[in-house]
Order: sequence, then structure tokens, then C-alpha cells
Amino acid sequence: MTVPAEERFRLALRLRWLQGTTVAVFLLLAGVFWYYQVVQHARFREMAENNHLRTMPMRAPRGVIVDRRGEVLVDNRRALMIAIVREQSRDLDATIVRLAQVLDLDDGEMRALVQRHRREPTYRPIVIVPDATLAQVAAVSARRLDHELSGVIVQEVPTREYPQATLAAHLIGYVGEASEQQTTQDGLTAGAVVGQSGIERIYNRLLMGEDGSRRVVVNSVGREIRTLDALPPSEGQRVRVSIDAAMQRAADDAFTALGYAGAAVVLDVRNGDVLTMTSRPAYDPNAFASGIDRSTWAALNTDAQRPLQNRAIQGRYSPGSTFKIAMAAAALEEGIVTPDEKIFCPGGATFFGRFFKCNAAHGHGWMDLAHALEKSCNVYFYTVGNKLGIERIHAWADRLGLAGRSGIDLPNEVPSLVPSPEWKRQRTGERWYAGETISVSIGQGQVSVTPMSMALMMASIARGGERLTPRLVTDVFDGDAWSPAPREASTTAPVGPRLKPETVAAIHEGLWLAVNGSGTARSARIAGRDVAGKTGTAQVISNEGKARAGANRADLRDHGWFVFMAPKDRPEVAGVVFAEHAEHGSSAAPIARHLLETYFAGKDGAALPTFAAPAVPGTVVPGGPAAPAAPRRPVGTTAAAAGDGAPW
Amino acid sequence: MVNRRLLEHIDWALLLAVLALCALGLATIYSATGGATTVYWTQVYALVLGLLALVVAMSIDYRLLGDTSHLIYLGIVLLLVAVMAVGAVRGGARRWLDLGVFNLQPSEFAKAALALVLAKFLADGDRRGLSNQQLRMACVMTAVPVLLIARQPDLGTAVTLLPVLLVVTIAAGLPMRYLAALAIVAAIAAPLIYTFALQDYQRGRIETFLDPEKDARGAGYQQIQARITVGSGGLWGQGFMQGNQAQLRFLPVSHNDFIFSVLAEEQGFVGVVVALGLYLFVIIRSIDAARLAKDPLGSYLVLGVLASFTFQVIYNITMSAGLVPVKGLTLPLMSYGGSSLIATLAAFGLILNVRMRRFTN
Repeated sequence: MTVPAEERFRLALRLRWLQGTTVAVFLLLAGVFWYYQVVQHARFREMAENNHLRTMPMRAPRGVIVDRRGEVLVDNRRALMIAIVREQSRDLDATIVRLAQVLDLDDGEMRALVQRHRREPTYRPIVIVPDATLAQVAAVSARRLDHELSGVIVQEVPTREYPQATLAAHLIGYVGEASEQQTTQDGLTAGAVVGQSGIERIYNRLLMGEDGSRRVVVNSVGREIRTLDALPPSEGQRVRVSIDAAMQRAADDAFTALGYAGAAVVLDVRNGDVLTMTSRPAYDPNAFASGIDRSTWAALNTDAQRPLQNRAIQGRYSPGSTFKIAMAAAALEEGIVTPDEKIFCPGGATFFGRFFKCNAAHGHGWMDLAHALEKSCNVYFYTVGNKLGIERIHAWADRLGLAGRSGIDLPNEVPSLVPSPEWKRQRTGERWYAGETISVSIGQGQVSVTPMSMALMMASIARGGERLTPRLVTDVFDGDAWSPAPREASTTAPVGPRLKPETVAAIHEGLWLAVNGSGTARSARIAGRDVAGKTGTAQVISNEGKARAGANRADLRDHGWFVFMAPKDRPEVAGVVFAEHAEHGSSAAPIARHLLETYFAGKDGAALPTFAAPAVPGTVVPGGPAAPAAPRRPVGTTAAAAGDGAPW
Repeated sequence: MVNRRLLEHIDWALLLAVLALCALGLATIYSATGGATTVYWTQVYALVLGLLALVVAMSIDYRLLGDTSHLIYLGIVLLLVAVMAVGAVRGGARRWLDLGVFNLQPSEFAKAALALVLAKFLADGDRRGLSNQQLRMACVMTAVPVLLIARQPDLGTAVTLLPVLLVVTIAAGLPMRYLAALAIVAAIAAPLIYTFALQDYQRGRIETFLDPEKDARGAGYQQIQARITVGSGGLWGQGFMQGNQAQLRFLPVSHNDFIFSVLAEEQGFVGVVVALGLYLFVIIRSIDAARLAKDPLGSYLVLGVLASFTFQVIYNITMSAGLVPVKGLTLPLMSYGGSSLIATLAAFGLILNVRMRRFTN
């Protein structure tokens, strides 16, 4: 069966036409692929990379903080974090419900948490449990993460650890996620962990280090396939603080044993190093390390004892009789009295028509300056205060460091207040009445100071007048060597005039007598150490007010102050102990004594003393532990050796 | 049946080009599925079976096949009916007959069967043109399998049967005015079909095609990813098993519908040109076979099987560049799919069959 020529020709024509069409279509296709693969290649390549490349941050461990002897105060540990990566989750809601079930958490809260982060890129992990327990990690890992808990990851992150718990909590501070303000103002990345208070905050830049990053290849469901390259994080710089951990512990032990709230500050008068700074009660910064939970935060904030407040620099109290030290310096320097000049104390005196009592109802008799300090004679200081006038009192308090801020390297220090006429005019619009000066002369009235400024005044007195700027961070380790921490030039040198030697001698003598003579601070005496000091009582409420309040409630009792320096002739340390509601300054003195004993023991390389609560009735708050706190002593020290400090 | 003389006339060039495409497909499947997986080995077995089918289809004189074309056609229609009754359901469609060892997809074989029965029917008729009677009959013969397959539902495969009818009738002398009329009717009917005849999901596919960004995570996703896959290949490609888009599964069913995108990504424009060249060569060479055929039956048969092949190749490659709506249409010879590979190789057996018997009586 052959094909007729005519039909064969028609078929051949149509076949040519089909072939031509096919060739044209294939050329067109080749053109399309040329356009996509060669002309537009760069654009599509970038789109493909956006598809499968992710930059994952790697958090840098923060710098370690050590005390002056190298003891670690703040460290890091590797915490396990449980997070959800939405991109990897097949069914986000199912994942949330199941994860909540596995971890025994509330799925509503978890959903709200995820909701809060909804605007972030879907590949960024949303942290559900920042610091998971091993049980939680085990519970999650037991499930098939790609199936039952799709999108859930468990990751190791360096997290702050405070091995000493509450020790030095207020000065070290705590960390937290950067606030919105911090991310915009300080250029920090969202979700970064930054210092939120204390040294953690002030030295955040040094401590933070540099976060690293990893470029990873992910597949279409966001699962990591491999790491392309990584920029390892660099750890924050090591920082050394001037704190002596042993003394810091000594202060805490003593406060705990006596059951007081309060604060203590000890400065090295030679260079401004802060050897001790404690505020009681304290909090545990570990609670903040991986995000504080709401209930703990609320408890800390509503606690009537205000554990988050650093009383040393944020609490302002009436200084009471400790203010008489500044008065003495002012009076001698201004030539109001000479050291030997005596003033008669009959037990009270009348100024501007009003009778002001002395603390000894029958009077102290004739008092020179040193003995006036020893006995804390009000009449003596009423008299010199009246002659000095408020302006000169303010000027001298300011010079010694008692007014304003100390300038310590900590955030949120409140200024101490020593009134002046100008201040009063601005504040109330009223003029200063000379009668007010009499109250100020014994540290009452409007005077309101922080324990820090009190310690600073004592350091100035110990140094013979010059004022230092206290500092906490002394050195920074930059990877190779320790170098001095950066400091503003204005804070490195002592400021102010030196006092006349006879002024210094008279005040030191008076303070020595207060401790070693027949003064109010005999419980701070340490044989051979020439401790000099002065007690003070800060009224919480006036005697009339107290009577009106009727009940002898704890929070109406007076505060006790004790300021000190030692040794008298060549002072090394000066400081303050402030005991809330301790009623008398003499109640604070044993704490100072324990601090000084610890200081000298450390200096001499001797065994550290243990605190023994004095068995004086009235000094122990009902319910407060009367037994000595559990002693912390270095390994190898026997109990007998530890108890070597002469019993009180 | 196959004597020495016939062997001499086998179109080795065409056969080699076809095998080269199979090898290219196998390599790309290997890469897309991450090595010698079950998928890969299934395709290898299918290739072996397909070559057997090719030899069988080549060996039996096509005229003999033409004489039994009505039986073959009837057999395929019965199989399609059987699929409707007892077919295995996968992905919401009933397309397969579960034969225990493997799943058979009869619709793949319907193409060649339809080409054969149409070729026989039209070649036997009036030689001076196509009568209206013949055209009507041809349309009915096409409509039966088309409707059966469309009901599975597998609109993609059903549509590949239409070019068979079109090309065979054109070859048989379809008047050009009919073609013009068909074009006009299609232009008018398209919006009507879109509004009234299409299912929602089918309308959605078309809408997504026109604006893939509108549904970038859903239906438009594949289209966008296909274009990214192709574009990121560049001139030289990212290398065998190095294509991130395919390896990291941004492109779905990469070993199947989007095998050409994978090839484009890993072998680049160079690989694309090689593959396109091979396909073009196969098609042009086959059209030659149609021209050289001894009788109209041979010509029509070659053109019939070639029509659905060519249509599917062009549609799939255009789809792998994200230029036409995504449809479940595989790339013949390269895509994964046993029935498709076996049926396509059998179809090429028929083309070789016609060409090598151009001098025989």
C-alpha cells in the first residue's frame, strides 16, 4: 500500500511546518533559560541564598568578676535553653500545646509569649525556658523533635552565675534582656543580655564581650543542615574589684547574726578602694541570670524590707551624732574653737528662746573638743554650730564628702543632703532660721546622708582632709595582662584642702577616746589596733511622734550608726556601719569591730575571725539569731585558730 | 520477525538520543533524591522494563499492530474503567492499578493506544482528505479515554491526549479553516470554561500563576521556587548534587514534576542546552521518520505518539521555569515514574518500528 505522490507532498509540507514550529518553540525556551540563568542569575542567586542561609547569633560569655585577691565573685555557666523556632514548626499551636504538656507549663502563657515575638523573623528562636532543668531537657529530648515537637530546639547558652549568691549582690548588680530604650540608645541588639544594675551595668561595655555569629545552611523547613562559617564570640573582659570577699562575708555574717537590716562600707583611705560594701537584706542575682520570673520580681519589689535597694548609696538617713565629726573639723578650721578650749555643758542650753537638751541630763561639765567627741556632748556642738552658722557647716560637710554624691562607679547613687539657706529657699521658698542650725549641729533636722558619704567623710578625716573618689573596679584583664580600669581624670586625685595638723590630731584623739576611753563605742575596741570611731543615733520619728504611735513597733525604733577608722595614727581603713532600727549606735559597733578584725587578719595573713554576737540585752532584735553565724573559714584553718580573735 | 535487514535500518541515532535523555534523567533523580534510594532503583527497573517494551514494540510489525488497534484501544479503555472501579488512591486521585509488584498507570499507555487507533482509522479512510464523518468519529475515539482520565481526576494526562487527535487529523488533511475555527472557538470558550467549568482549585492555580506573590507560601510557592532554582543555576550550574534549592527541598517533587529545574540548577544553562538539544533532536528525527514512512498508517502513528510526547516536553520545561501554571505533568524520559517511562519507551519503539520498516512490504 503505497502513498500517492500528491498526498505525500501535502504531508511533507505539513511536517516541515511542524518541524519549524518545534524548532522555534525550543529556541524560545532556550532564550527563556538564557534570560533566567545568565542575565538574571545574580538576582536569583541572592533569592536562593535568602532561602537557605541564616545568620545565627552566638552569645558571648560575659567577663568574670573577681575580688581583690582573685576570688571569683561572678562567673558563667552553660545553661540549656528550650526555644521554639516558628519556621521549623509544622503546626505551631500543636507544638505549643504539646510542649506545655511536656514541660508542665501553661499553654496560654506560652502562646502569649510567642505572640509577643511575632514580628521577629520566624527563624529566630523564641525562648520558652531560658534555663531548663535537666529533667525538662530530658522530657523534651525524649520526644521526636522533628515530629511531635517540631520547631522545638534545645540550645546551650552562656549564662551568668553568681557563685557567692547574695554576697555583694548590690554592687555587682544583675543582668537582663536589653530594654527597648537600651536597644535604641546604646545600639544593643534586641534580646541581648546586658547589665541592668551595679557593676554589671556601669561596666557593661567591658563585660559584655562581642557576640559571635554562625552562618548556617537550612533546608526548606528551617532545619540546620550544616555550618558554613562561624565568627566565634569573644568573651567579655575580666574585671577585678577592690572588694575583699572575706570582709564582705564578715559584714554579712555579722548583720545576719544580729538580725539587722542596714549597710556597711569600708574604704582603703590610701587609695579609695572599696573593701566592703554591703546592703542588707540582699537578693540573689542568680534569679535574674536567665530572666527573672514574674512572681520573684514582684516579691522583690513589694518586700517592705526593699532588698533591691542598695542602702549604701541609695538609702538616706539622719546622721545623728556622727555629724559632730564634720562639725569639729569645721569649728577648728574656722577658728571657732581651739583644740584645748573648753565649753561648759550643764545638760542643756537655750538658743533663740528654745531649750536644747544634752544627752547627759546632768551635764558633762567642762569639755574640750576631744572629750566632746568622746562623750558626744550636744551642748559643745550646739555652741560651735551656732557660732559657725549654716553656710560654713554646709561648706565643710561638702568638702569632707558628706554632701552630694561620692562619685563611686555605681549607677543610681543618691546625693547626700546637708542643708544650706540656698537649698531651703529653693526647696520651700522660706528663709533659713538660725534655730535650725542648732539641730543641724548634732546631725538632726534636715541632714540626710547615705552610708557611702559617711564612709567617705571618715576617709577624708583619716587622710587629714583630702577627699578621695571611692572606686570599685580597679583593673581590667584584656586577654594578656591586667591594666588599670579606665577612670575619669577628675576621680583619680584627692581633692580639697588639707586640715591643720592640730585639727586632725584633736579629732583623731576624740574618736580614739570614744572607742578606747569612756565613750559610747567601746564595743569596737581591738587591742593594739587603735580603732577610732563615733556612734550616732538616727531618729526615725520624733519622740513625740513615737509616743503618739503608741506601740513600740520595730520600724519606729531609731537607727544606729558607727563610723570608724584605724589605726588612729596612720589610718589604713575607714568606714561606716549602719544598722536599721538598732536603737543605738553602739549596737552597730560590734559589726565594725568584726570587719576590722577580718581586715587585720587578712593583712597579717592570720586566720579569719568568727563573729560572736555580744550578749548585751537590748541589742538583739527579738527573733534575731543570737548564735554566731556559721563561720566560713579557709580550708585548713582549725576552729580553735578561727576563734583566736580575743573574745569580746 | 526481526531479520538482519531490519536491524540495519534501526535509527541508532534516535535510540541513542533517547537513551541519553534516560541517563540524564536517572542522574538527576539520583541527585534530587540524595543518592541510590528506592526511587532511584525503581526508575532503574522501569528503564530495564521500558527497554524491553521498546524492543517488543519495535519488533512486531506496526501494520500488524494497526490491525489489532481496536483491540488494544478497547483493552486500554477497559483498564481505565477498572482504575475507576478498583484503582489505588494516592494524593486524592485514583490513577493506579495496584498489581502487587508495582502500580500500573494505564493512562500513560492510553496515549500510544490512541495514536495507534486514530492512525489506523484515518489511514484506512478516504485518501483525498478528511471527511467530517471521520473527524467526528476520531473525536469520539479521543473523548472516551480523555473523559475517563479526567474523571480520575488527572486533567494533565487527559489534556496530553488532545495533541494526538490534533496532529493526526492535521496530518490526515484537516482543512485549515477548521483549525482557524478551532482557534476562534477556544478564544471565546476560555473565559466561559474558566467561569463555569473549572473547579475552584483549578481556578486557583491559574490565578496563582498570574500572580505568584499573592500566595507565596502556598500554591505560588512552587512557581517562585522553580524560577529561583533555575535562575540560581547560572551558566555552569552548581554541580552534581550541589544544588541547594533541590537538595534542601525548597523545590517540591523535584525528582518528578520539577526534574528539569534541578537539572538547570545543577548543570546550569549548559546542561539545559544539552537537554533541550537532545529533546529537539529526538523530535525532529521522529518527524523525519513520519515523512519517510512507507504508508499513512506509519506517518500517522509516529506523529500521534510524538504529539503527546512533544506537548508534554514543552509544557513541563516551560513549567520548570515557572512560566506556566504548575500541573502534575511529568517530563517524558527524565522524570521519575515507571509507567510513564515504560510507555514512552514503548512509543519510541513504535517510531523506530515505522522507520525501520520503511522499505518492507
